[in-house]
Amino acid sequence: MSETSILHIAGLRKKYGDFIALKDIDLDVGEGEFLAIVGPSGSGKTTLIKLLVGMEEQTEGSIWLRGHRLDFVPANKRPTCMVFQSLALFPHRSVGQNVEFPLKIKGVSPAARKKKALELLEMFRLPADYYHKSIGQCSGGEKQRIALARALAFDPEILFFDEPLSALDYRLRKTLEKELKNLHLRTGKTFIYITHSLEEAMVMSDRIAILNSGKFEQIGPAEEIYNRPKSRFVASFMGDVNLFDITMDQNSGQVSIPNFSIADDVAGSMAIDPLAVNTLMVRPESIRLLENTETADFVTKGKILGKYMLGSRIQYEIEQDDRNVLIVETANYSRGGTPGATVRLGFSWPQSHLILEAAS
Amino acid sequence: MKRHTSINILFYLYGLLTLAFLYLPVVAVGFASISKSRYLRFPIRKYATGWYGKALTSDTVMDLLSTSVTIAVIVTVVSLVIGFFGALAFARYQWRFRKLYQKLILLPIFFPQTVLGLALLMWFNTLGITPTWKTAIIAHLVWITPIVTLIIAIRAYGFDPSLEDAARDMGCSNWQIMKEVTIPLLMPAVTSAGLFAFLLSWGNFPLSLFTTGADSTLPEWLYAKMVSGYSPLVPTLGVLSVAASAAVIATAFFIRAMIPAVKQARRNYQQAH
Repeated sequence: MSETSILHIAGLRKKYGDFIALKDIDLDVGEGEFLAIVGPSGSGKTTLIKLLVGMEEQTEGSIWLRGHRLDFVPANKRPTCMVFQSLALFPHRSVGQNVEFPLKIKGVSPAARKKKALELLEMFRLPADYYHKSIGQCSGGEKQRIALARALAFDPEILFFDEPLSALDYRLRKTLEKELKNLHLRTGKTFIYITHSLEEAMVMSDRIAILNSGKFEQIGPAEEIYNRPKSRFVASFMGDVNLFDITMDQNSGQVSIPNFSIADDVAGSMAIDPLAVNTLMVRPESIRLLENTETADFVTKGKILGKYMLGSRIQYEIEQDDRNVLIVETANYSRGGTPGATVRLGFSWPQSHLILEAAS
Repeated sequence: MKRHTSINILFYLYGLLTLAFLYLPVVAVGFASISKSRYLRFPIRKYATGWYGKALTSDTVMDLLSTSVTIAVIVTVVSLVIGFFGALAFARYQWRFRKLYQKLILLPIFFPQTVLGLALLMWFNTLGITPTWKTAIIAHLVWITPIVTLIIAIRAYGFDPSLEDAARDMGCSNWQIMKEVTIPLLMPAVTSAGLFAFLLSWGNFPLSLFTTGADSTLPEWLYAKMVSGYSPLVPTLGVLSVAASAAVIATAFFIRAMIPAVKQARRNYQQAH
């Protein structure tokens, strides 16, 4: 447990009957950190947040807030607050009454809580006359801000988010992602954000924790998770990726990848583990279409199956001789090929990443 | 355009005919109540309003009214309390026998009321309870509570369960969640259900017939007098009974219409101070 850690989770486990939703979760969250917990549906992220806010009780393990056991504290006494997926704004109360709600429960006087509510509305760039507006009259983006304002009115030690942006359209989501990041910088509070969208997590968070089948696969900054994933799962969960099996000849110790020619000096320096599952990962943007005489550390050839315009980039699907399909992305101004054409492709060793996983 | 107008006229006529079909019987009873004749007959030859005076001063009538009102008020209050929590169990909480409960609670509504009344009477006899207006309350509750539960449950289905979780997350105790979130959200359904409960009990005949014993409610008395001993007091009381129901509904609407005005006034007061 580090000194600046605000939240410490040790050996957390949750079982529903025979089903293990979370197994041996360990986590430290730093003071003022923005941590995103990312996982596919069914990975246990909702269970984890329910344990953290006290809506469920763990089977084993402990949760600590600044050195005090948090899991012994009932949900309504925890100094944390959550922004729900549905936002959970009270439809029978006005915008102002919603924002003031936590203060009302804490017993703050009507005048003081109205002052605070108006301050928060201003902070979220909502006009003061919204104070009397009903929730039903507000737009999706305004509701998000009201929910955030209400959560901040609570003044929590940690602010939890349960995918609050998932129901919004793309553009509004992008705007709010940045607003949320700015809000984090401005308030300096600890944010823990649950989402299934890695893109969202990468834009906003300081660190990302990848949850899969009830345990963390990897925890680290976005850059590390994207470029140096520890497992095939993390690699493929973080967007498009090419994964190649690396084999080693038992006798000669020669390293090879099917259908690739590897430069000799590179093949010699690849530190693979003969007892592990060795995978070479390359992101689509790191593979180049090669000119006739051009060469690279790893070279292969294939037929272009599809070409897709992504805006700033062009994505190709290229089929190798063994029917393995590669995903390649180039800048949209670069020279390309047309579907049906056979092309040579290559990438360099520093732009690839070696994944070593224990053989199961 | 011309064609549209004629179709509109047809629609209006249809609407008027429907209303006439629904309300003419009530109007007929109204006419019968101000007839001087002792027998129900149209057209009315001589009018008289004396029966209203008699109705309002008669001890029998006062007894009937007080029995009917007492039953209806108690049934409303008790069915609302049971129905409120019953609706939460019906719609909001996951528990083991929920599916079975949801089906069983509907049964009393599907029972013909006469059969239900007879069954209850036999049940009271078996238990050795003498039927009075108090047993009629039980009988009304058996039939009305499921209706009240359903009306509130429909509303309870409609609200997001995370509202209660959010309230707890922001520090609410169970009682505060009930007071700040659950009750206010279910209030519109509770008032409608309360109105239904009162009116269904007030106008109920078949259950009362079997279960009031020696006591009598207004609908029972009306029926008895229709069968033997008719006088214009019967339609008079009929009209008064309908008027009472209408008054209850009108009061409810008035109160509901007043709520925004009261809120506005309170807000103005707060702003002024």
